[in-house]
Amino acid sequence: MRRTSRLGGIARRELLRAGFGSLVLGASGNFERSPFWAQASAAEPAQDGRILVVVELSGGNDGLNTVVPYGDDAYYNARPRIGIREERLRKLDQHFGFQSTMSGFERLYKDGHLAIVHGVGYDQPSFSHFASMAYWQTAAPNRGELYGWLGRAADAMDPQGHANYIVNIDTQQSLAVRSRGHVPLVFDDPQKFTRSGFAEETAALKAIAGMGQAENDAQDFMFSVSRSALDAEQLVRDAWAKYRTPVDYGLVRFGLERVAALIAADFPTRIYYVAYRNNAFDTHVYQSDVHARLWTYTSDHIAAFIKDVARLGRGKDVVLMAFSEFGRRVKENTSRGTDHGTAGPAFVIGAPVFGGQYGKVPSLSDLDDGNLKYTTDYRRIYATLAGTWMGHRDTEVLLRGNFEPLPLLDA
Amino acid sequence: MAESISRWAEDLSPISAFDWSADRAAHLLERAGFGGTPEDIARLAAMSPQTAVATLVDYHAIANDHLTPFERSDVWDPSLRDFPVSRVAATERAEKTGEAMGVRIKPAGERRLQPVVDRFFYWLRATVLETRRLAHWWADRMVATNRPLQEKMALFWHGHFATGEEKIRDYRKMEQQLALFHRHAIGSFRELLVDVARGPAMLAYLDAAQNVKGAPNENFAREVMELFTMGVGHYSERDIREAARAFTGWIDDDLAFRLDADKHDDGQKSFLGRTGNFDGVDILTSILEQKVTAEFIAGKLYRFFVREELSEPLQARLGAILRDNNYEIAPLLRTLFLSRDFYSAPSFGTRVKGPIELIVSTYRKLGVKRLPGIPDLNVVSRELGQILLNPPTVAGWAQGRTWITPGLLLARGNFARDVLFPDIINFTDPNFNPGREVRRVNDRILAGMEIAVATIEDGPGEGGGMGGMEGGEKTMANVIASAEDFNTRYGSLVGWQEAVQRVKPIPRAAAQFDLAAMVLGAGAKTTSDAIDHLLMRLLRVPVDAEVRRILIELLERKLGTGDLSLAATYLERPLRLMAHLIMSSPQYQLC
Repeated sequence: MRRTSRLGGIARRELLRAGFGSLVLGASGNFERSPFWAQASAAEPAQDGRILVVVELSGGNDGLNTVVPYGDDAYYNARPRIGIREERLRKLDQHFGFQSTMSGFERLYKDGHLAIVHGVGYDQPSFSHFASMAYWQTAAPNRGELYGWLGRAADAMDPQGHANYIVNIDTQQSLAVRSRGHVPLVFDDPQKFTRSGFAEETAALKAIAGMGQAENDAQDFMFSVSRSALDAEQLVRDAWAKYRTPVDYGLVRFGLERVAALIAADFPTRIYYVAYRNNAFDTHVYQSDVHARLWTYTSDHIAAFIKDVARLGRGKDVVLMAFSEFGRRVKENTSRGTDHGTAGPAFVIGAPVFGGQYGKVPSLSDLDDGNLKYTTDYRRIYATLAGTWMGHRDTEVLLRGNFEPLPLLDA
Repeated sequence: MAESISRWAEDLSPISAFDWSADRAAHLLERAGFGGTPEDIARLAAMSPQTAVATLVDYHAIANDHLTPFERSDVWDPSLRDFPVSRVAATERAEKTGEAMGVRIKPAGERRLQPVVDRFFYWLRATVLETRRLAHWWADRMVATNRPLQEKMALFWHGHFATGEEKIRDYRKMEQQLALFHRHAIGSFRELLVDVARGPAMLAYLDAAQNVKGAPNENFAREVMELFTMGVGHYSERDIREAARAFTGWIDDDLAFRLDADKHDDGQKSFLGRTGNFDGVDILTSILEQKVTAEFIAGKLYRFFVREELSEPLQARLGAILRDNNYEIAPLLRTLFLSRDFYSAPSFGTRVKGPIELIVSTYRKLGVKRLPGIPDLNVVSRELGQILLNPPTVAGWAQGRTWITPGLLLARGNFARDVLFPDIINFTDPNFNPGREVRRVNDRILAGMEIAVATIEDGPGEGGGMGGMEGGEKTMANVIASAEDFNTRYGSLVGWQEAVQRVKPIPRAAAQFDLAAMVLGAGAKTTSDAIDHLLMRLLRVPVDAEVRRILIELLERKLGTGDLSLAATYLERPLRLMAHLIMSSPQYQLC
């Protein structure tokens, strides 16, 4: 665990130029072997690699008012005030319709690029945002797990821990990407992802950021992150500065436009994690207007992203999955909202996806204490994404069980 | 030293005067407070460990009269009571009753509901701006106080009983709750729990008004057990439902607690194995009787003040201390701060400073007595990932390693630069910046455009660079905006203008401090002395000898000499450069 940190390429060159040659020579050891030290430029470019983008809709999305089962009277009986009337839906078939603000999703569905997975959930569901989200993020329901499912997938698929293999667009790292061997690149505002320094201190800044003798795990962690920051900042800023798009990403740009910028710059990243933040989908009170608006933003934003990656010529390489930690109760509550529930739909989207509907539709009358009985374990979606799509060889270990992939993608 | 004291881990017996040192006094001040100047540390180091800890824990004896209460802006009036939960609710109320929030619907004419919508947005903005002032006031207290442990504990409780203005939409409730955190900081957790649970901020945050007889809302009942007292796994879903029934009828009546008897379910409930006609306080009392509650709270305090890893036996012992002291926090903290465990190798220099701690301790280490207005507290803390009075969720902040990512580390270095080299030329008051959307509408209205035209969203997709929009594809957001019979975007602009006119400004000045005087005053003669002083002043985790050498070399190059007496007249700026470098180091993030 103890590591002496070494200088990365950019910092080395700058130090040499600034006259700290003795230092660089003294420190030039086996830095190539340290996982955190691998250079982005040395990593395999993602040109031929497949990319997975996971979108977290935090707060517990009301699935029944997203993919609306208008063909089922039980829906309107349970939701006399917030049920969405048939004529206001964007119909998908004789039974289901998207709510009217989801024009982006409707287009993707009709183009055959959007798969709806019905009734996604897990056994003994938690109604706590934090617990249920943690279960989704770790693929370990009803137990504690230190690392995220994407972090563990990355550890298995890239044991060397290449830099920038995982990117997380957020102000803080998500548990989903927490990894043993990777330091995910986490940033929110690309323009602020930069160390301000005067010319006269640039070289010393880099030396200081890149050096440290770790005495314990906390220091080891801190020094690793510091070194990873050193190289990543330049790459991200350059990517963002160069990125131009004609595509309108909607009113709430929760991060996919930044993902597109990195894809456009040929980042070696294979896993992107983006969240619609702040428990936004937690619609306990007066939800109709709020929920419709949330889906305006979400559907506009995701549809724009898919369009944008196609424009970049990378459409066939990108698959996006959107999920929420749980659905909501079937019955509306007394304040025109809905309370925490269980199963809900998840979405798998992209040119490689065989659009349509998957998973058994949960019954609206055969309920478990007012809640939907889930029909599809969410880890089947993970098995599809990690195994079929990303080529993870042993999803049984990753997911601690054998979960059959859904046939919505080709290997 | 590290080797000899590793066996102190998990040893709660007090450290002896013989083992007391400046290093350990500095550690105590960082953890129990926000660090301090070398003079502050020397004062503690000269005391016995017992007296040093008492100086922090028994703070009621310490004068703090120089602190002033929060000075409200004149933004609220009683017509804003029972503020509608959404814009929809506001206009519905107005349509039903002819008025809302003290504003009547126009009898006739265009956009009859517009004044109501303006009023709605006025308060949304006003309470946001006032909350920022409140956060500034609080952080200023942290910098200025003589009772740092009180502020540190208030910060802890804020993260523990996390509520946020974004949902509550009333800074007064946040202010009221913050006063509870200050009052009960190291007092009785029992009293704190009951007061917070019955406080309007918590009632509003966890939907108390929706929790009524016959249709209980479980939000508070769940979180009070999962996050505030016991932790998951010690109660059933049924306990949650039963507790929710006991809390029915608890209402926030503006700034007061009220029990609405009509909405309270006074039937029998079964909770944690007992049955009775429980009310909310009975539920809290039952929770406090659980052994696991004391252990949960004691463990969380330990992780906050000492270190992340905590064995089950140690947690049980800490829980017993809390229970034996009837949930009084001070005795537990005194035990922790005196314990050998607190000074053992795994506890030393292993804590990732939270953003607010980083900000406050930076000023305190520089001897700055008041929180500067430049850089802006709220802007900086948002960039670093911790917005006071707006935690991300009811779970508070995750603490520890989650405070740090590559990007956040860079942001921390940038904060240091803003302190050492405040860029006043480019500084604009962020509270005067309404955001892109309002600004665009404002520009168009000022240019003489019709409201309907001025508020259409036709801008380019700003996502990514400055590319213009091709084609005329409208997002759904636009379709909705043009269909409304009153204009929310215009209301947003009018509300913003009104709010920003009325909210008192935050004084804007950069921090005043003199590094040259500090370094020379400490007797530094050479560039090595100067660097050693800065390292000692700023860091708890030492840097490598190579880093020290780089700093000395660079300082000497900047000064043109290694002899400080020759450079005394132009020392400040180069020293600030050195301080920026040190504060950008990974070591500076730990304490």
